[in-house]
Amino acid sequence: MSGQAKELKVAPSSNGDSRGSWEEKEEFHQDNLGLTTKPTPVTGRRARKVEGGVFFPKPENAVTIAVSTRVLFRTDREQKVFQQKGVEEYLRYQIEHENEPFAPGPAFPFVKALEAVNARLRELYPQSEELFDIVLVTYNHAHVGIRLINTINHHNLFIERFCMTGGSSPIGYLKAWHTNLYLSADSEKVREALAEGIAAATMFLPEKQTEVSESQLRVAFDGDAVLFSDESERIFKAHGLDKFFEHERDNEDTLLDHGPLKGFLEALGKLQKKFYAKGQRLNCPIRTYLVTARSAASSGIRALKTLRAWGLEIDEALFLAGAPKGPMLDKIRPHIYFDDQMFHVEGAAEMGTIAAHVPYGVAQKHNAKQNTSVGK
Amino acid sequence: MARKLLMLMHEMNERLQQESAKELLQFDVVLITTDSQQQQQSSSIISSTKHHGLEISRFCFANEEDFVESLQTNNVQLFLTSDKSEASQATQKGVLSALLDHQEASPPSDQLRIMFCEDAIIQPDTGPTPANREAIQGFAAQLGEIRRRFSLADSPLCFILVTAHGSKDSCASSLLTLRSSGISVDEAYCLAGAPRDPIMPLLQPHFTIRISFSDLEE
Repeated sequence: MSGQAKELKVAPSSNGDSRGSWEEKEEFHQDNLGLTTKPTPVTGRRARKVEGGVFFPKPENAVTIAVSTRVLFRTDREQKVFQQKGVEEYLRYQIEHENEPFAPGPAFPFVKALEAVNARLRELYPQSEELFDIVLVTYNHAHVGIRLINTINHHNLFIERFCMTGGSSPIGYLKAWHTNLYLSADSEKVREALAEGIAAATMFLPEKQTEVSESQLRVAFDGDAVLFSDESERIFKAHGLDKFFEHERDNEDTLLDHGPLKGFLEALGKLQKKFYAKGQRLNCPIRTYLVTARSAASSGIRALKTLRAWGLEIDEALFLAGAPKGPMLDKIRPHIYFDDQMFHVEGAAEMGTIAAHVPYGVAQKHNAKQNTSVGK
Repeated sequence: MARKLLMLMHEMNERLQQESAKELLQFDVVLITTDSQQQQQSSSIISSTKHHGLEISRFCFANEEDFVESLQTNNVQLFLTSDKSEASQATQKGVLSALLDHQEASPPSDQLRIMFCEDAIIQPDTGPTPANREAIQGFAAQLGEIRRRFSLADSPLCFILVTAHGSKDSCASSLLTLRSSGISVDEAYCLAGAPRDPIMPLLQPHFTIRISFSDLEE
């Protein structure tokens, strides 16, 4: 057999890996598109340079985003095989189609935007490890590994770390790698992650997809039970709108407690400040939005005061005072929008917004549908 | 630690037998010691292993200089030891060796987990000779065959690949090389420089086979 494996002559330093130019990579995956499952032919040491920049940041320094295969890519056909014919047939199918890359999934534009931010960060801070580090974390069996790697190469994604657990829970790995955000199609895994204090959200296959920016990462958050705790929502659900307003007024100067995605907003803010420090405030490739049903004149004040006290800046705060979020989100075109209520997530998705569900807080008891069968 | 391993292998042998009465592939365990003190107590070692119900087919008492020869005469395909120098001596003479890790977290007792990890630094002169390469490939093929006797889920044997420093493409390469040697890996982790210690308690291998994947090249 030819060209199976190469000798690794050197390796250990995490910063030292050199990588060649993009042209070399093109050649690499050209060979890949052949119909056999021959191993990818490699001549000598593959090198891919990122203009002298850091390629493998240490997990604790980077903002680690873990995505599962079903949100990064479209695997609905394969899911059907799994559901109808079982795991052995599913793996056989995957291996048979090893050289066919998957199509992009709901988290794909988000990941591409993260990479665009990384490119800008590397220009300004070539030696820094404070970058987005995208990790593929999947329950999949390693038999699917070759197809996944081929797909990552086909789409020119910068994903070097991955974790195929062959069926066991990936939550331990998420923790070990200081994961800042976990996106999965399976709400059970997402709940597990949230319970362990990891920001997480469930993503679904959208029916419609609108175009999003390729140069600016836009992340939108709901307020209650996402950035903030669900304290106020509890009051609203238990006692109604009037009591909600009363409670907010009485507690205007008390900070809201933090919600599951506060940490992620914080991580985004840290990266934003790096751009501001280099005079890039008007040209910052990260933009954050708060899209809340609270109203600016009253209940919104508490939200703003809380954010300020946390030292978190949010670029745009949209207080809808109960108006539907869909049209506003359609204007913003975020790469991802986090909300704790399926009703809003579905409404957003209907208009083509990429929305993710955060199964946290009291709203979950009121969710009529369960997520597991949706959008696989 | 080693005891659990033996029990696992024994269990696996039983399951293999269950699958097919004519099963020829089995784990055959040889106990070897170079410790002269232990050798004086040879009869008590033998009865001790019987007492604990450990299936050991052969006992071998050797000395430090020629224990590798003993390994070779006994056709040992995999030498497990907790002694680093013994392991490297054996490797240099062409016997595949693996270190039994002393871990705090004890690995599961219902599944034998074998980890393959690529050696990051390869010195071209210490690789095995072509003859041994065949032996290693043969061993890999047999291991893979044993794994195939069991189903994908609920298997008493599990193969893990960890690529510590290389890129995902070197991981892909390793996956394919192992596969062509007969081993289909169950779990794969590409660390790309991330530290391994935090995930060792999650991986829980019983032992790690460190090889350069060119060992498996034909």
